[in-house]
Amino acid sequence: MSEKVEKFESKIKSTSTARANKRMSWLLLAPVLIFFAMMNILPTIWMLGLSFYNYTLTSANGATYAGLSNYFDFVKNEQLSQSVSRTFLFLIIAIICQTFLGILIGVLFWKNDKMPGKRLALTLLFTPMVVTPIATALFWKLILDPTFGVMNYFLTSLGLSKVDFLTSSSLAFPTLIVVDTWMWTPFMALMTLAALGSVPKAELEAASVDKLPIYRQVTTVIWPHAKFILMLGILLRSIDAFKTMDLTYIMTNGGPGDRTELIALSLYRFAFKSFKLGYASAVSVFLLFIAIALTAIYLHVLNARKKAEAQA
Amino acid sequence: MLGQVFHLVYIGNGTTLLSGNFDFPLTLHAHCLRIPTKDNPTPGCVWGKGVLLSTKTDNNIDRRLFLKGGAIAVAAIPMSGLLAACSKSSDSGSVASDSPLLGSNADNMKGKTIDFAYSRIGGWPPSSAPETQWADFQAYAQANYGYTVNAITFAEAPFGELFQKVAPTLASQSQEFNLLIVDSQWLGALAEPGWIIKADDVIAANPDLDIEPYSSLVTNTYQVYPDGSGVRWGFPQMPDVQGVFLRKDMLEDPKEQAAFKKKTGKDLASTYEVLSEIEYADLVEIIDFFHRPSKGMYGTALMYSKEYDFFSCAYYPFAYSTGGRIWDPATNDVYGILNTPGNAAAMEQFVSLKKYQPKNFAAFGIGDMIDLFTQGKVFSAWQWCAIGKFMSSDKVPADKVISIPIPKWGGKRIGAMGGQPWVINAFNDDDHMRVAIDVLKWWYTKETQDKFILENGGLPWSKEACANPEYQAVGHYVKPFLFMLSEGNSQDFWHLPEYAEMLAVQQEAFNGYATGQVKTAAAALEYAAAKQQQILFKAGRTKTEPPANVDSLKL
Repeated sequence: MSEKVEKFESKIKSTSTARANKRMSWLLLAPVLIFFAMMNILPTIWMLGLSFYNYTLTSANGATYAGLSNYFDFVKNEQLSQSVSRTFLFLIIAIICQTFLGILIGVLFWKNDKMPGKRLALTLLFTPMVVTPIATALFWKLILDPTFGVMNYFLTSLGLSKVDFLTSSSLAFPTLIVVDTWMWTPFMALMTLAALGSVPKAELEAASVDKLPIYRQVTTVIWPHAKFILMLGILLRSIDAFKTMDLTYIMTNGGPGDRTELIALSLYRFAFKSFKLGYASAVSVFLLFIAIALTAIYLHVLNARKKAEAQA
Repeated sequence: MLGQVFHLVYIGNGTTLLSGNFDFPLTLHAHCLRIPTKDNPTPGCVWGKGVLLSTKTDNNIDRRLFLKGGAIAVAAIPMSGLLAACSKSSDSGSVASDSPLLGSNADNMKGKTIDFAYSRIGGWPPSSAPETQWADFQAYAQANYGYTVNAITFAEAPFGELFQKVAPTLASQSQEFNLLIVDSQWLGALAEPGWIIKADDVIAANPDLDIEPYSSLVTNTYQVYPDGSGVRWGFPQMPDVQGVFLRKDMLEDPKEQAAFKKKTGKDLASTYEVLSEIEYADLVEIIDFFHRPSKGMYGTALMYSKEYDFFSCAYYPFAYSTGGRIWDPATNDVYGILNTPGNAAAMEQFVSLKKYQPKNFAAFGIGDMIDLFTQGKVFSAWQWCAIGKFMSSDKVPADKVISIPIPKWGGKRIGAMGGQPWVINAFNDDDHMRVAIDVLKWWYTKETQDKFILENGGLPWSKEACANPEYQAVGHYVKPFLFMLSEGNSQDFWHLPEYAEMLAVQQEAFNGYATGQVKTAAAALEYAAAKQQQILFKAGRTKTEPPANVDSLKL
């Protein structure tokens, strides 16, 4: 009998402890949840609602319900479609360049443990990544200026003619990709170093003892371990590159014409130049869906990694 | 009922509604007592305690609000009659004796301490000048009205960004900026939502602020919205017109003159009298002569940048002077007016000058004109006269520079107008409203204008000031400035609330043509005209629909 009572008492105790723990966990989570709701969920809902209205800040008329017309306008607008496809082109080329160079640099540092000045070189290598993009854009703009810029000074010193990097309709877009690559290749190098660091040394040593050819080492030992971190790097860069605005805004202002106008810059114009808040919200919703899609892939990769680790 | 002055019962500082069968949005804001009419669609802004604000149209009124509004209106009618009978003010221009629109007097601000804030255009010297003179205003306020202006703060942003900075603060009815220096194109965007006080109402309260301008261009450019209505919203801060700055030392060099004569068989013009009458083709001949890129000297520099209105304003003289127009202010139509063969030819001519310029001409704006000219990189620069004082340096001193009006095209020339007005925040509290009016009164005093023009690079705009020989002698840029400010020599463009959207479309297309993205000037104009027509049609400003293919147009 007393045993039953003890069991019952302990059950009650454990239940009340569990409840208290649950309460405490909610209490601790509350500030974050409130902040998240206030700063994230509510503005998103507001934006979603606004996207169904015609609302221009500078108009005397208030917001009027417009149904899906903002979305139809967005879909019909050829100029905006071009802006979206230009953004994807920018994203794809920039990520390919950055990944390729990042892996190259990462492997270089990984393979040379005893390289003199490695730490200093790594620190310098990562500098572009930590400089604010606005500053990067400004000094590249000055470097590339045909009249006062140092780049053209060197070109003319070498007997070459001056190059108009930022206002030439054929060169402006590739120049932006080069600057973005300069800025973000270190990130991919860092991800490569992290990815290579995740490869167990024992497996590498075994491969070395077995004298596996380099491509076999890569495919059977390095890649299975490194691929998750590398893919995460690529995805993070993709999400970031899709939102690129600072570089284009400062360096070319979307020009010449609209040659370098990426979707984030178009959105900025609608929202903060024309103050067409309803239309800008509709474009934002579209961008949000793309960001969600990229994030879903990111989460999928993360889960795949966890599963692979669990299986191992 | 429409168009009458209302003496309203104070309802509170919130929003309410006067019901009625109006044909257009009823817009009354915090200091409005006048109902807009068809002839005068902008709301009146006579300061008073009657407070009505609504931007609702009839079809948006919900039932509860309608009943509430109706009740207020019913209550207001007898009250208004009563107040009208008691009040001395019986006409639309009259102001109560304690109205803040009168500014300060010896009693109402005495002993107070106040902070004041204004916004200005960054990187634009004329709009920065007031800052250097604020100490004088502080002394003026203390001496005349007995109050202390503790701190005068300012916020600034370049032309393209300042509107973004001030618009959200005004939309939230903030008095973050009590007084604003804005661009003339923004007048509609600021006036229509009721963010600024109507200048006419301030002038009605302070007739001394009704200063006779040098020409009607001043009023039409810096003060009026809607275009051509005569309704004033802004006060001139600094007028501006276009000119061409040339290297006087090069023109006067006997060796150059001999070489020019040998090459062209003509005398090289070097005096203002001759150069101010020059035809475009003759000026280009001189530019061509001095274009020596191998020696680091380019013939000229013009603004082709996509930024703000740089390309547009630089191009307009080419279009205006050859008989072109860019829109019809009466109908708000653009399509068929902007995209004409004449305007296309003018644009081709304008862009053809790129061969005399450094490689990155397509990014040139106001700052580049200053840099290139003062660093001795170009023989000439097409620039705003307002910054004439700053178009010289140690390398190119002022005595080696001559400025002239824009050239003639077949005897005709019309430039674009620039310059900025002051506008007053409609959401100022009483004290700040008084100080804002005081600032304007101080700004237009002879002493302040003397300092502004003689020391800080400012330019005059009133009839009296423009006749002042002391002002005329302040720099070489005053002569062409006064010429271009004369009746008919310059013209402004849209003051519509949609200006930013219209400008962005146009700048993108025009700059695209200059850089080769758009193959022909006609295509760039077609794109801009169709898109602008669409913007104006959607905003309800015109009844003419854009062309059917407008959505499929791309650069």
